[in-house]
Amino acid sequence: MGSEESHAPVAVELDGVTKRYGDTAAVDDVSLRVREGEFFTLVGPSGCGKTTTLRLIAGFEAPTEGAIRFGGDSVAGVPPEARDVGVVFQNYALFPHMTVGENVGYGLNFADPPGGVTRGERVAELLELVDLPDAADRDPESLSGGQKQRVAMARAIAPGPDVLLLDEPMSALDARLRERLRVQVKAIQSELGITTVYVTHDQEEALAISDRVAVMSGGTPEQVAPPRTVYREPATRFVAEFVGDNNVFTGRVVGASGTADAEGERGGDGAVDGETGALDDGARDGNETAIEVDGERFRVGLGDRDARTSPGPGDRITVCVRPEHLRIGGGRNRITATVANAEFLGETTRMTLDWGGREIVIRARDPLSGEVAVGFDPADAHVIGVESE
Amino acid sequence: MSDRDRRSDGSRSLPDRLEGRLLTLLAVATSATLVVAFYYPVATVLIEAVRVDGGVSLGAFAEILRDPFYFGEAARLFAGESPTAVARDLVSPDRRLGIVGFTAYQAALSTVASVALGLPAAYLLARFEFPGRRTIRSLTIVPFVLPSIMVAVGFVATFGRNGTLNAVLGALGLPAVDLLFTLEAIVIAHAFYNAPLVARVTTAAWESVDAGAVETARSLGAGPVRAFVDVVAPQVYPAVLTGAALTFVFTFGTFPIVLALGGFQLATVEVFVYRLVRDLSYAEAAALAIIELVISLGVLLAYLRYEAQSAVRSRGARPLPRKPLLPSTPTVREWVSRVGLAAYVAVAAVVFLAPIASMILASVTGGDGALTLEHYRFLAARQRTAAAFQVRPWPAIRNSLGFAVGATLLALPMGVVVAVLTTRRYRGRKLVDAAAMAPLAVSGIVVGLGLLRGLVFGVEVAGWRVTASGAVAIVVAHAVAGYPFVVRTVAPGLEALDRSLVESARALGASRARALRDVELPLVWPAVVAGAAFAFAISIGEFTATVVLATGADAYTMPIAIERFIGRRLGPATAMGVVLLVVTGCSFVVIERLGGESRGL
Repeated sequence: MGSEESHAPVAVELDGVTKRYGDTAAVDDVSLRVREGEFFTLVGPSGCGKTTTLRLIAGFEAPTEGAIRFGGDSVAGVPPEARDVGVVFQNYALFPHMTVGENVGYGLNFADPPGGVTRGERVAELLELVDLPDAADRDPESLSGGQKQRVAMARAIAPGPDVLLLDEPMSALDARLRERLRVQVKAIQSELGITTVYVTHDQEEALAISDRVAVMSGGTPEQVAPPRTVYREPATRFVAEFVGDNNVFTGRVVGASGTADAEGERGGDGAVDGETGALDDGARDGNETAIEVDGERFRVGLGDRDARTSPGPGDRITVCVRPEHLRIGGGRNRITATVANAEFLGETTRMTLDWGGREIVIRARDPLSGEVAVGFDPADAHVIGVESE
Repeated sequence: MSDRDRRSDGSRSLPDRLEGRLLTLLAVATSATLVVAFYYPVATVLIEAVRVDGGVSLGAFAEILRDPFYFGEAARLFAGESPTAVARDLVSPDRRLGIVGFTAYQAALSTVASVALGLPAAYLLARFEFPGRRTIRSLTIVPFVLPSIMVAVGFVATFGRNGTLNAVLGALGLPAVDLLFTLEAIVIAHAFYNAPLVARVTTAAWESVDAGAVETARSLGAGPVRAFVDVVAPQVYPAVLTGAALTFVFTFGTFPIVLALGGFQLATVEVFVYRLVRDLSYAEAAALAIIELVISLGVLLAYLRYEAQSAVRSRGARPLPRKPLLPSTPTVREWVSRVGLAAYVAVAAVVFLAPIASMILASVTGGDGALTLEHYRFLAARQRTAAAFQVRPWPAIRNSLGFAVGATLLALPMGVVVAVLTTRRYRGRKLVDAAAMAPLAVSGIVVGLGLLRGLVFGVEVAGWRVTASGAVAIVVAHAVAGYPFVVRTVAPGLEALDRSLVESARALGASRARALRDVELPLVWPAVVAGAAFAFAISIGEFTATVVLATGADAYTMPIAIERFIGRRLGPATAMGVVLLVVTGCSFVVIERLGGESRGL
């Protein structure tokens, strides 16, 4: 889980970084490694510390504790202007008293353009890159939001920074434009191969654009992993519920994975007999267990957990099932619930079901009403956590 | 990607590092200037008050506190008499207030008059639309740049025995009145100065009331009056209190107006401090000045505590809509309010325009009432024939301009640096703000006296005798008096700037000082220029510290010249006043043109 696929050298490292304002820790003991050329995203709800983390990397704030290293060297005490970072803010922060060209060229007052070109060539090159080749003499105020965002991007890249820091650069734009721009941002990042740290509250954006994602809550990353891992194998309940829709159940393990011995331990429990058939299934792939949630029994897959990490009977277990894995009238684990609410979204309908006072979210093509039977397969349930008795 | 070397602190070049520290260097220079030009001189004066024969004694304070001459009946309280007896005497008709009591009394009256005159103006400016509204709104800044001694000349020309008021009364067949050297004249002059301040802060608060809040109250069932009482008034009245508190403090420390309109028979504390200084009673002067300072600061602190508790400055998303001044089909109620406003405008026109008009008129009116340029010719003749002890007009003009240029050049960087320091977030920022703003609260007499005895008379530093000429001391005193106004115009602009602009510049490689030069200053440039014009105008009009420092014939300024003329020859004084008016008028135009309207004070 969270395996680091890239083995490129570490570009930015946070080592036990804490930032306190008075008594509250905005960033609490964060350790992260961003590799060279990686597109790394900090995602989380407002107040989770993601922007503060970015500002610490940029040097606008100094950590209360811990070290930040660029390419292995500590940057403690190095002011932002000496860190070789490019920053794009949510509001773009274009200098209103300069033209677009002057904005893009501003950083070249302090560094020679990379690649041995002249300043003018570099500005033209970047405006070309962000698809605004004729904007050099324009007044920033005359640009649309999306254009401003691209100019801010060009300005940040112009001096050839080592690290690009993007702080919610698209939050002020409408949804459609945001989707188009994030494709463009990702394309530019890949083309330049520039190490990028991206901050967003939009989990969909984070999944779409990143090589790796850190899901933050309460000043700490809850999980750092590639988007697919974060989505499919959330490490904590918070991640499971923050990234996409999810149904999280907490229950008790009533059968152990596979062996008859484990089942035998349950002794005279009347439930055992009813479980036998399912147990056989479990025994077949050896990687399932039975759990009980509010009196209802489910079989859930254990993924690649080995004997040591597998839960034993009586353990408290938390699992999640994505709405798209809850099939109407299908699946090996079945429940019957009442449709409480249906939102027609176009390609699908999102429905909230009432299952004995619990809320369950499913997706289907068309809206339903009344009682429905839904089910999921053990392999589609993901175990988030286990607490031993 | 790493084709650009990362510059760590150790490998940066010396100029780079100097530039990185430029702001720190400027801050240190500003602090040093403040210490030399303000804190050290003021401290020497204050120490004077407690030093008796090499020891420390509070005797001077005790004497003043127990002296009925200063504290009136209240002095007996300090002397240990029973409070009830003192209170009984205080309410009796022939009570004695003493100088301090009188100063507080006239300040309180002036505050009431200023609020009474300022509030209708705020109502008019905030709630009505009419041609010239913006111009009048920006004209409320005028008092800050009008030299007080010139206003005093205007009031003498209006209310004096041969002034315009008596001319008008005479023409109407009414008996002449002599308001000069009365409390009324002083209070009206103070209202002239401070009512626009009250109007200005109140208008700003009124304009920031969100129309949505009033509409919500109305939709919930409140009538227009109730909505005003419940929604508008609570947001406006802290501003009124701000105006009142500042007015009280300003008028408590008043000097040139009382000196010119009240003389020593209606002396306030500041005037008496000046008299003691002239009589070389430095210890008593210092002790009295400290008591004055403590009272002023007490009022300010009490007010600031109140403000901190009730600071709910909401930025009105949508201001209340303005009503037309002349509705097409007025109701009875509208008629009444319009008639009331018309009466107010008439009174305001007399108070604000009469002194200036009278001064201009008097400067071109001869003894026989005919138009003449004789007063200006007198100034020209005096320039040629003046005896050594007499004031020549040209050096006064030249000095005023020279000092003002010098003071502006000094005050501008100081003000900008302090504005930058006080708009950044860090612990102790309030303390820096207070320390930097202290010159606003300390009497000009004390600053002048401190500079005179500390720098002009010379001071021993490590075996070297350091002395400054009177001219240098005046420039420094003016800069110290003027730079808080630079801070107050520039700081709101910087505060309003998006922080990410500076951060973008820094991430792109600009040092803090470079970001200030490239991004912040260009964006707040109008405020910087307005601040410079403020500093210039304050210097041109500064009287209090100058009168103490202008000992030699080489250092007098236009306000000093006017004061010398005013008692003996009103004509030349008014002519000089007109010259001063033209010069300050020019700096006002600069302030107005460059957008001082919505900023700061």
